[in-house]
Amino acid sequence: MITVVLPSTLGVKDTRVELHEAVSTIAELVDVIDARIPGFREQLDDSVFNFAVNDEMLLHHARERTLRDGDVVEVIPTISGG
Amino acid sequence: MSIHSRVAQLLQELPKEPQFPTQGATLFIDLERREVARAYTPLRVARAFLAGRGANMFYLYRLLDESLEPLHPEIPLIFGSGVLTGIVPSAARGNASSWSPESGVLMDSNAGDYFPSFIRMNGIDHIVLYGRAERWTVIRVKGGEVEFIDGMSYLGLDNIDLRARIPRDLGGTWDRDLAMVNVTVAGENQVLCSAIMGGPKACYARGGPGAKMGSLKVKAIVVQGQTRDFETAQPYKGYNRTIAQKLLETSVVKHALKHTGTPFLYKPSRLLGAMGTKNNQETTWTEKLDAENIAPYRPGMTGCFRCPVNCRPLNQLNEDEQDKYGRGDGPEYVTLGKFGPNVGIDRIESVIRLNNVCNDLGLDTASTGSTIAWAMELYQRGIIDEQHTGGLELTWGDAELVERLLFMISRRQGFGNVLADSTRAVENGHYPPEALKYRMAVKGLMQSDPHDARILKAFALGLAVATRGMDHLRNRVTLEINARINDDPAFKERLYGAPVSAAPNSYENKEQAVRACENTYAVGDSVGMCRFTTKLFNSPSLPGLDEFAAQIRNVTGLEYSAAELDRVGLNIMGVERLINHRLGVGREHDTLPERWFEEPVKVGAYAGEKIDRAEFDAMLSRFYEISSLTADGVPTDAFRDELQEALGVAARASGANEPRERSGESGTPRASV
Repeated sequence: MITVVLPSTLGVKDTRVELHEAVSTIAELVDVIDARIPGFREQLDDSVFNFAVNDEMLLHHARERTLRDGDVVEVIPTISGG
Repeated sequence: MSIHSRVAQLLQELPKEPQFPTQGATLFIDLERREVARAYTPLRVARAFLAGRGANMFYLYRLLDESLEPLHPEIPLIFGSGVLTGIVPSAARGNASSWSPESGVLMDSNAGDYFPSFIRMNGIDHIVLYGRAERWTVIRVKGGEVEFIDGMSYLGLDNIDLRARIPRDLGGTWDRDLAMVNVTVAGENQVLCSAIMGGPKACYARGGPGAKMGSLKVKAIVVQGQTRDFETAQPYKGYNRTIAQKLLETSVVKHALKHTGTPFLYKPSRLLGAMGTKNNQETTWTEKLDAENIAPYRPGMTGCFRCPVNCRPLNQLNEDEQDKYGRGDGPEYVTLGKFGPNVGIDRIESVIRLNNVCNDLGLDTASTGSTIAWAMELYQRGIIDEQHTGGLELTWGDAELVERLLFMISRRQGFGNVLADSTRAVENGHYPPEALKYRMAVKGLMQSDPHDARILKAFALGLAVATRGMDHLRNRVTLEINARINDDPAFKERLYGAPVSAAPNSYENKEQAVRACENTYAVGDSVGMCRFTTKLFNSPSLPGLDEFAAQIRNVTGLEYSAAELDRVGLNIMGVERLINHRLGVGREHDTLPERWFEEPVKVGAYAGEKIDRAEFDAMLSRFYEISSLTADGVPTDAFRDELQEALGVAARASGANEPRERSGESGTPRASV
C-alpha cells in the first residue's frame, strides 16, 4: 500500500488517500489518482506542486522516482517568500 | 562639494514639467533649512532606469559623497515609487535607498502597503531627504504640498502607539486617505537593523533604513488625500483586468498566497534539509512550525493598496485586548525561519508573538533574528560569555530571552547595544575577530531568508552577487526547487533564455538563471510590482516583462519591448555596482559565508553538499561575463560609458568611480559608523 497526502488547497474531499494498486513510479501514481479523482492530473500539471517521498523532496526526475510498498507520497505546494 | 551644491547642480539639469503622462515630481527636501524644491526625472533617465528603485539609483549616484559616512546628514535618503505603482493591481511598491549604515554598501529596501501609492496620488514619484532637522520632525504631504510639523511629541513612540496617535492628531483614516512611513524608538536610537515602517507590518527593512531616517531626525512622513485615478496615455483599466485575472488564476496565488501566505515555504525547506537552523549549524527543524499550524491563529488575510491577492496573514493569539502583542500582521516565511529554527524556537505561538513585537519595535526580522542567532552560536562556542552579555545566558530556544533582547536592542540597553550594531559587532569592538567566521552575512548584510543555500547553487550565486548584500529578493531563482520545471529542459530554457542544468545542486549555467531573475526583478521594483506576483519568483505564469511593457505603454506612452526592459534591469544592476564600487566593493565581496564552503549539509537527500570554491569562482566569472562586468565585478568600460551617459555625468575622466579603500578581511566593504 502507498499512502498519498494531498494539500487541502486542491479541494479534494479526502486529503489522505491509500492506494492498493500496483504503482511503481510517481508517474503511475498520478495515473491511478487521476482515475479516482477526475481532473487531478490537470491540477498537478503545475509548477507549484512538488512531490516528497517519505519526507524527501524531489527536485528533479520526479516522475521517474520509483516507489515501494509502504511509501508515503506527499504533494506539497512550493513557493517563495519575503 | 556639499549636498546643497550637488542638489543645486542637479536641479539645473532636471525638467520642471512632467516628461510623460502620470509622471510625478521629485521633491528635494532640505531638512536643515526646511526648504523644498521640485523637479522631474529626465526622460533619458526614465528610459534607462524607469522610476522606483531604478531612478532612485540615478539620484543616489548623483548625490552620494563617499568621503562621508552613511549616517552623515549630507548622505541622502531617497524614496521612490514605481511607474505603475498605485495604478496596476499588485503594483503597490516603492523603494528607500541610501548608503547603508548596517552593511556599508548600497542600501535599497522595498516595501508595499499604502505609502508608495499614496505619494503618487499626491503627484510625487520620489522624495529626496537630506540635511539633519534641527528638531525631530514629521513631514506632512497633502495635496502635493509639504508641511513640516514638530515631531517632538511623537518621540519615544513605537509603531503601534504612533499609528494610534497620528489619525487623532492629523485626521484621516488609514488606508482610505492616510498613509505613513515612520521610525520607531529603534530608528531614533540608530539601531543598525532598524526598519522604516510603512504599515502595521510592511517595512523598508534591509540595510538599516530606520537608522538612516532617524539620523536625519525625521520621525515620519505622513501622506494625506483621497485616492484618485490617473490621467494615462491610453486606456489602461481593461489591461488591468487582464493582469488581475492572470494573478488570480495562477496556481501559486490560488493554492498558497491567497489563503496562507508565504509560510508555506517552511515545509519544503525543512524537508529539503535547507532550513537554516541555529545560525545554520543545522539545516532542518520541527514540523510544529509548518504553515498549517499557523492556521488556528489566522483570523484572516489582508493586503496592500488595490492588490487582489491579499497574501498577508493576520494573527490573533488570544482574546485579551490588553495584550499588545496578542494580535498582529504576519508572520511571513522569513520571520518564521529567523525566529523559529534560526534561534532554536519550536513553538509557533512564540514565533507569532516575536513577529508582533518586531513589527511594533520596527526591527528588520531578517537582520535582527540573524544577529541574535550569531550571538547565540558565539555563546555556545565560548567565544563570548556572560561578561559580554551582561550576565545573560544565550540559550537556544529561549523565547522569553529573545523577546527581552528585542526590547534591549531597540533601546540599545546593555547587551542590546551590541546586538544593535548587527553585522558590525566585531568592527565596533564588541566581539573578537574569530566571531566573523560564524557571521551569516555577505557584504556586511545578514542573510535575508532562512534558506540554507549550500544545496541549490543558483540560490547561492544570487546571495553572493546581490547588490545590497545577502538577500534573496534581488535575484532568487526560486523555480529551481520546482521539479516540473527542472524536468522540462525546453521550458526551462525558454524561461531563462539559455539552457540551465536540471540538477539543483549543479553549477552548470546557473548564472544564466540568476541574470534573468536579477533583470526581471529590478524592472519589477522600478514599476512597483510586488515580488511575490512577478514572473520567475513564484511562478512562470505571473506578469513579467511582456505585461510590464504593455502597461507602461498604456499608462505612460513610453514604448519598450520586453528585451528593452530586460536591458533596463541590467542597467539598474550596473549603476548599483558602480555605486558599490565607489564604496569599496569588489569581486572578493561577491562571496558567501565561510561556513557554506567548509561545512557540508548533514541531513536529507543532499547530505554532504557544500559550496566548492573552484566551481563557485568559475560560476561567478561566467556571471560577470554575461552581465557586462569586468573580472572585478564592475561594469566594463563600454557598459560604464553607456550608464554614465544615462546618468548625465562625464565619462571616466570625472574620477567618480574610483573605489574607496577596502577593508577586505571582514567581508564588510569598509569601516563605518
